[in-house]
Amino acid sequence: MQALENTQASETAKPSRPSGWSPKMLLRDTGIGLALLLLIVFFSVSTEHFLTANNISNILTQITINLILAVGMTFVILIGGIDLSVGSMLAFCAVVGGTVLTIPDLSVFQAVVLATLAAVGTGVVCGFLNGWISAFWGLPSFIVTLGMLNIARGAALQVTDARTIYSFPPSFNAFGSEMIFGIPVVFLIALVLVAIAWFILSKTVFGRLLYGIGNNEEAVRLAGHSLMFYKVAAFTIAGALVGIAAMVYMARLNIASPIIGIGFELNAIAAVIIGGTSLNGGRGTVIGTLLGACITGVLANGLILFGLSDFMRQMITGVVIILAVIIDKYRERLTGV
Amino acid sequence: MEEPEDRLSPICAISKGLIMKNAQTVGAQTAGVSTPPVLELHDVKKSFGGTRALNGVSLSVQPGEVHGLIGENGAGKSTLIKVLCGIVRPDEGVINLAGRAYAPSTPRDAKANGLQVVHQEFNLLPYLSVAENIFIEHLPRNAFGVVKRQEMHAGARAALDAIGLSDIDVRWPVERLGIAHRQLVEVARALMTESRILILDEPTATLTSRETERLFAIVNDLRSRGVSIIFVSHHLDEVFRICDRVTVLRNGETVYSRPIAETSQDDLVRAMVGRKLQQQMASEVVSLARPEEALSLVNFRHPQSPHAEGISLQLHKGEILGIAGLVGSGRTELLRAIAAAELPLSGALHLEGTPVSFRSPRAAINAGIGFVTEDRKEEGLILNMPISANVTLASLSDVSRAGILDKKAEIAVTERLGAELKLKYGGPGKNAATLSGGNQQKVVLAKWLARNPKVLLLDEPTRGVDVGAKAEIYALIRQFAERGLALLIVSSELPELMTLSDRILVMSQHRVVGELSRPEFSEERILQYAYQGEQQQARP
Repeated sequence: MQALENTQASETAKPSRPSGWSPKMLLRDTGIGLALLLLIVFFSVSTEHFLTANNISNILTQITINLILAVGMTFVILIGGIDLSVGSMLAFCAVVGGTVLTIPDLSVFQAVVLATLAAVGTGVVCGFLNGWISAFWGLPSFIVTLGMLNIARGAALQVTDARTIYSFPPSFNAFGSEMIFGIPVVFLIALVLVAIAWFILSKTVFGRLLYGIGNNEEAVRLAGHSLMFYKVAAFTIAGALVGIAAMVYMARLNIASPIIGIGFELNAIAAVIIGGTSLNGGRGTVIGTLLGACITGVLANGLILFGLSDFMRQMITGVVIILAVIIDKYRERLTGV
Repeated sequence: MEEPEDRLSPICAISKGLIMKNAQTVGAQTAGVSTPPVLELHDVKKSFGGTRALNGVSLSVQPGEVHGLIGENGAGKSTLIKVLCGIVRPDEGVINLAGRAYAPSTPRDAKANGLQVVHQEFNLLPYLSVAENIFIEHLPRNAFGVVKRQEMHAGARAALDAIGLSDIDVRWPVERLGIAHRQLVEVARALMTESRILILDEPTATLTSRETERLFAIVNDLRSRGVSIIFVSHHLDEVFRICDRVTVLRNGETVYSRPIAETSQDDLVRAMVGRKLQQQMASEVVSLARPEEALSLVNFRHPQSPHAEGISLQLHKGEILGIAGLVGSGRTELLRAIAAAELPLSGALHLEGTPVSFRSPRAAINAGIGFVTEDRKEEGLILNMPISANVTLASLSDVSRAGILDKKAEIAVTERLGAELKLKYGGPGKNAATLSGGNQQKVVLAKWLARNPKVLLLDEPTRGVDVGAKAEIYALIRQFAERGLALLIVSSELPELMTLSDRILVMSQHRVVGELSRPEFSEERILQYAYQGEQQQARP
């Protein structure tokens, strides 16, 4: 419907800054998709092993956790916030979930269900606190989540006494490396989460208001909506996704350690930003985030196959992040408003 | 090395001047014609987009003259000041400063030419000390670039003493000062540089009478030293006390300029208002007010209200009630408190006879109040989102089921209201930013109409709207009244209020000081009330 309306009038009017569900955003996502495609073509041609089924499924496995975290981060960044605590929260959720998972006398099914509830619940509580504290006291989420970064890490170390938890049920671990048609199941889970997030952000009142808050908080408030609810909800969703990411982490690596996830928040933010979501909020899509996570993953994998050192890879990833923001800025200036 | 001492000299001169106290007589002589003007403007014009802010301003300021510049809200005073201090460039016209063409490109440039402005808004840095603020443009430094603190403090001390602020410690951060003292510190800063022309933009707005006296003493002294002062004020009594000459702007044009001795308060008010509008449609428009009461306020106090009694008023269904008043008289604050954008302090609000108390904008909206804010871009619209999203922003539950948006319904609502309000737009999916000011305002109106409110509050409903769209919005507002909607309109454009309203309340200093029914409408009367209120306030 809307697409029709838009194309009818699009010859006359200037392209305006897109906002989420509009077809223009699709165009922007297409641009990022194109960049991803170019990267894939480049590495396919220049390296021998890049375009093999094995390597592709490798990449998909590697980006899964970052992708799940980045989906949550997208909600937070869309309302103009940021969540620096997801890496620490991942460790906290993992050790809580891992502890439940290793409770003796539970069937595998019971253990996994309870562990998932525990891990997600932990994430929800931390996320809720992030959102509530920053919304209630009007504090920048940068500061509040910086605090939570330390709190969650400390809590993870405290409850485990700094020990690593392992020896999970073997079938749980097997699930972590399960494939369907050569695609890792954990990645498919991440894709389902992307789809749900996409639906929420583009089809629901809730999503609409998240975009609204990111663009103009005061207008949304004066139109009779509770800012508090939406802000807290965004952070809580991010927390819940950290819990899911923690379960995936344990299934894949078969351990839960209080020192995992250091710096993960920055990778997640990078994926969101490369995916075209504005750090100022109000603009971006979760599809962009998916593409952004793929770009970082492909880049990391391809550069190493290309023969560059891990140090070089890190430098190049940094350059890409800055480039993405510059391109975004430039595009903003071109299209005005 | 000698630099700092040099800079202190004007201050020292002022302190001497204050002792002399004979400035009044010196100033009077400048009315003579023979001296060439220090500042001369001829037919200066400036447009922003479609709106003409300045439409032929001419002004001639003599050396050592205090020149009053007055006009209604929106007459072009602020734009003129911006032109003079290099923030805005004029489109047309000639400006001469001391006999040479003057076209400042930046405020710094203006200062270099000897023109200083003490702005209405505060330009102080709140966390720096008073002394640092005063010296911010040329901090005394030693060879290593380290600030010479003692010298700075001594200089600031002298500067403050000169304007009578001996009780303030120059090491205090500015945030510790009250609003009046900040204004005076700003004056002190402006006096740090020797200037030919000093522009004071509403300098007394925040001052008590004692501080106003101090300021006037400073002004007199500067005048005696040949500095010209452009004194922008809403307070006519001050203009008569301190100015040698007065110029009136109306609709961006110079309409009147006389020596103060040859004019009167009535002349000035008439000049500000203009004769042309007197005939306005006046009483031929029939009031659509119905007997049922829609909204009433009893001793209603908004958060900034300084008076215990607050504001009382009644608004009937189908009635258009206008609120007039000068900037800062508390009109916007009143509307914001009714809409619960800011919570009122006390007082009662009745909606259709039932007492209500809103804890949030949401509660007010649910009870049937719509609020079109003054600042469309910051508070009314989400510019970077589609028109349809803006139209349905306050009525999302009508276009969704179980939290899932029905985009067809949303577009239908947008198209229906778009047609009703004669909205010109590229399509519901276009961003609101693509619309002209008038059409943006219609989107805001549509947002509230979609909720079918009982009371609609409109703050400056045609700000930044071109003439054609203005007429359309007026017609729409009358239509709303016909349907029984009660409307409360705040506007700084008196012709607009007089065209629309069935009744006008005049506010001054957060109080209702006058009420006019349609046959009594005249700009003069309204302004008289508004200014009277100001003066009553100034007396005690």
